[in-house]
Order: sequence, then C-alpha cells, then structure tokens
Amino acid sequence: MTTFVRDQLTAESRAANAVEVRGLSLRYPGSGGVLALDDINLEIVEGSFHAIIGPSGCGKSTLLKVLTGLVPATAGEWSIADGSRPAYVPQGNSCFPWLTAEDNVAYGLWVKGKPKRQRREAARRLLASLGLQDFARCYPHQLSEGMRQRVAIARAFAVDAPVLVMDEPLSALDFQTRIHVQGELLQLWMDRRTTVIYVTHDIDEALTLADYVTVLSERPGHVLQTMEVPFSRPRSYRDVRNRPGYTEAFARLLYLLEEGRHS
Amino acid sequence: MNLQIDFRSTGRVLSLGLVLPLALLLLWEVAATNNWIDTLFYPAPTTIVDNLWGHLSDGRLLEDSQVTFKRLLLGFVLGAVPGILFGLVAGMTPLIRALLYPLASGLYVVPRIALLPLVLVAFSIGDPARIFMVAFGVFFLTFFSALSAAEQVDRTHVDIARSFGANYQHVVRSVIVPGSAPTVFSGLRVAMGVGLIVIISVEFLASNDGLGAFIWRRYQIFDFASMYTGIVTVTVLGVFVTVALLGAEKALLPWRR
Repeated sequence: MTTFVRDQLTAESRAANAVEVRGLSLRYPGSGGVLALDDINLEIVEGSFHAIIGPSGCGKSTLLKVLTGLVPATAGEWSIADGSRPAYVPQGNSCFPWLTAEDNVAYGLWVKGKPKRQRREAARRLLASLGLQDFARCYPHQLSEGMRQRVAIARAFAVDAPVLVMDEPLSALDFQTRIHVQGELLQLWMDRRTTVIYVTHDIDEALTLADYVTVLSERPGHVLQTMEVPFSRPRSYRDVRNRPGYTEAFARLLYLLEEGRHS
Repeated sequence: MNLQIDFRSTGRVLSLGLVLPLALLLLWEVAATNNWIDTLFYPAPTTIVDNLWGHLSDGRLLEDSQVTFKRLLLGFVLGAVPGILFGLVAGMTPLIRALLYPLASGLYVVPRIALLPLVLVAFSIGDPARIFMVAFGVFFLTFFSALSAAEQVDRTHVDIARSFGANYQHVVRSVIVPGSAPTVFSGLRVAMGVGLIVIISVEFLASNDGLGAFIWRRYQIFDFASMYTGIVTVTVLGVFVTVALLGAEKALLPWRR
C-alpha cells in the first residue's frame, strides 16, 4: 500500500531516501504483550517534510521512539541517512527547566562536546530566527508555552542532524499560537531542508507543513497509505485551504483515518 | 488574583505573619505583669529579653551557641553528603536500591534518640558521639529524599538527553542531578530541622556545653528566665540555618519559579 505514491514519483526524487523502514514491528514485553506496531514499511525522501497521522494510540509516538533509538523494535529493520541519530522533539513541554533558553537550544551541542563559544553562537542564531533573541537568558518557566515549544524545536535543529523527528510538537498550543509557530517552523525548514518526520493528529497541520502524509491505522499501527501533498511552496495555514484540491485531500485523509479506525 | 499579588510581596507576607506572634507576646506580657500567670515558670517577655541581654554580655551564651552550631553543622554535612550520594545512586540503580532500601527503611523507623546509649557505648561521651547522632538522623532523611527525587526525574528529559547521544555521565550530570535538586533541597530543610532536634536532645542528656545543656541546667536550678533565653537562642539558630539553606537553594537553583 505504501507504493501508492512512490510509483508516481519522478526518478529524481526517488533517488535518495533519508529513512527506510522495513517490516518494523513492536510487541510490548510480557505475556500477552500488546502489539503496538505491525509490519511498518516507510520510505522518507531526503529533504522532505513527512507527516504521519493516525488515530490516538496507533503507535505514532512509539514509531518515533524506535527511530530515535529510545525503544527497541521486536522485528524489522530501518536505516537512517549516514547511520546518524535523528534529533528529537518529544510530545509536550520538554525543555529542561534548569537550563536557560539558550542552553536548552545548545544542549545537543554540549553533549557532542562542542566549545562554549560555538554552542552559544548556534543557539543565539536559532533563537533569533524564531524571534526569541531577547529571551536567550530566560528559564523555561519564564516563557510562554509557545516560546517553550519553539525552544524545543530549535534544540532539535541546532545539532544539524540529517533527520528530525517531531512528536506533535504544537498540539498543546492554542490555535493562534499554533499556526504562528507552524509558520516559523516552515521557515526554519525551508532554510535548511532537513528531512523531517512529523507526527500529528491534525489533518490541516499535515497538509500545511508536509510533502507527504502517511496514515497509520488504529493499534496495532500499520501503514494504510502514503499520500503526496499536491500544494506548491511556500505555503501557509491560511492559503493552503484555498488551494485547488484541498477539500479532496482533506476528505481523503479523513476517510483513511476513519477506515483505519474500523479496520 | 489580588491575593496572589499581595503574597508575592515578601514584606507584606512578613508583616502579616508577625501580627499573631506579636499579639500573643503582648498577651503574655500583660498576663505576667498582672500576675494572672505564675511568673516563676512563665516570666514576662521583657524579663526574658533582659535575661537574654545579660547572658549575651557575659559571653557564655554565645559560646554555647557556637558549640551547638558546630556540632549541628558537622553532623549535617557528614550525614547529608553520603545521604544524597547513596540516595541518588540507589534511585538510579535498581540493584543498589534493592540492596539498600530494606536496611535503610528498617533503621529509619528507629527513633533516633533511642540509639544514644548505644552510640555512647561505641564512641564514649564526646563530640564524635554527638556529631554522629546528628549525622545518623540527617543521613536517612536525605537518603530517602534523594532516592525518590532521582526516581521521579522526568523520563522525557532522560529520553531527550539520550536522543542527543548523551552517555550515562551526561545524563547524570545534566538531567538526574538538576532534576533531583529541588526535592533534595526540601529534604535537606527537613533534615536540618531534625538535626537540630537531635543535637539539643543529645545535649540535654549527654553534654556539659551547648544550648541543650544550657537549657537543661537552667531548668534543673529553676532559673526559668534563663531557660527561656536558651529556647529563644535555639529558635534563632533554627531560623538562621533554615534561612541559610533557603538562600543556598535560591542561589544554586535560579531556575526555580
């Protein structure tokens, strides 16, 4: 089923996959362990923004944790560009409360042992591109929810990993803040074209941000279909809804989500 | 909302909090000067202040305060440092937790002061015994607070650190230690209070100097005004060490709201 779009892709874009997942399954340990992921097959095109949607509890987050190496899979294999480690933006408020915005952003560079000067410069640059230059020395509790999510996103971008995985990073934000941060995230991504795997439960968000949308079924999660998003860039939340084909794309994804729930 | 703003002003909270104690002191003073209460046992606050002033000028009270403070501080450090270290390690390592927890829980429920005779046998009367008593009480409180602090560190933070490739040492330094610090500090405050109780009790029973001995001796010779002076001094010492700990917490954890 994953081949639906892949067959229609040009030879050029087919050339490089940043992430390939083959037959990945995960059963939680213990007798009668729940099967969370069932034979997942995915190809993530290098430099693409790839959204994954699915009903809650379908294993979207678990899939990301497998890709980041936090949770071991039971079966299957996957490869990530250059054997690298994806940078991770988890669900919810994930900033370290004891680090300033700047030190949060620089965290991955600290782990890599980069010198202080380089860490600071990288963090300042990213914060500035997200409009947070005046908040570099603030602690997370002094920031708004939206600012904290921007810091968490900047922290992932800071390490220049070839692949970024994000788990509903904007789901806790109010509507206005969410579309604002969506715009900033898109800008950041357009400047870098890092491969992004982006889990969301919001069809609009997927259609605004992504080049491809993969729909997972209800647990045990398996891939129902991967759809190419037909809208040219640049895009924004507002204008995507006026693009021709929007209604059909939305309806299609909604249909798949519903189908996934009953399958 | 109004209330919240009011209570953010430290000055206002302090002044509000002083109303009740001052009223009680005033009532005590009036009751004593009118002989509604027996002034032998309950001398007027002004009498106690006079008495305190006398003891301060002859220097003996300060000496006793220093002796008690030194014992408390030494016992606190000797108990808290291993308490925090073992607690954090046990909280991070299920094997060590399984090894230490039952013994620690068993010893924890023994009332500290009940061990005094045993400690006196082991160390004989002297400062090592008194300091050990404090350290023993402080150790278990800090051990358990550090243990649960390390256990309750947010998994998400550990996951993020690991997702960036952090090794064990990175995780301990950048997540476990700062993540546990607030709980460890509140454990330290409780432990300091217990340490003060222990050292005063030990000085009641097994010491010729220190504030505990000061209070006990005055009680035995019916010098109640001086006894109150001792109690006031112990209280001041308690407030001092608590405020010092709060100050250290504020300085070391600037990220706390």
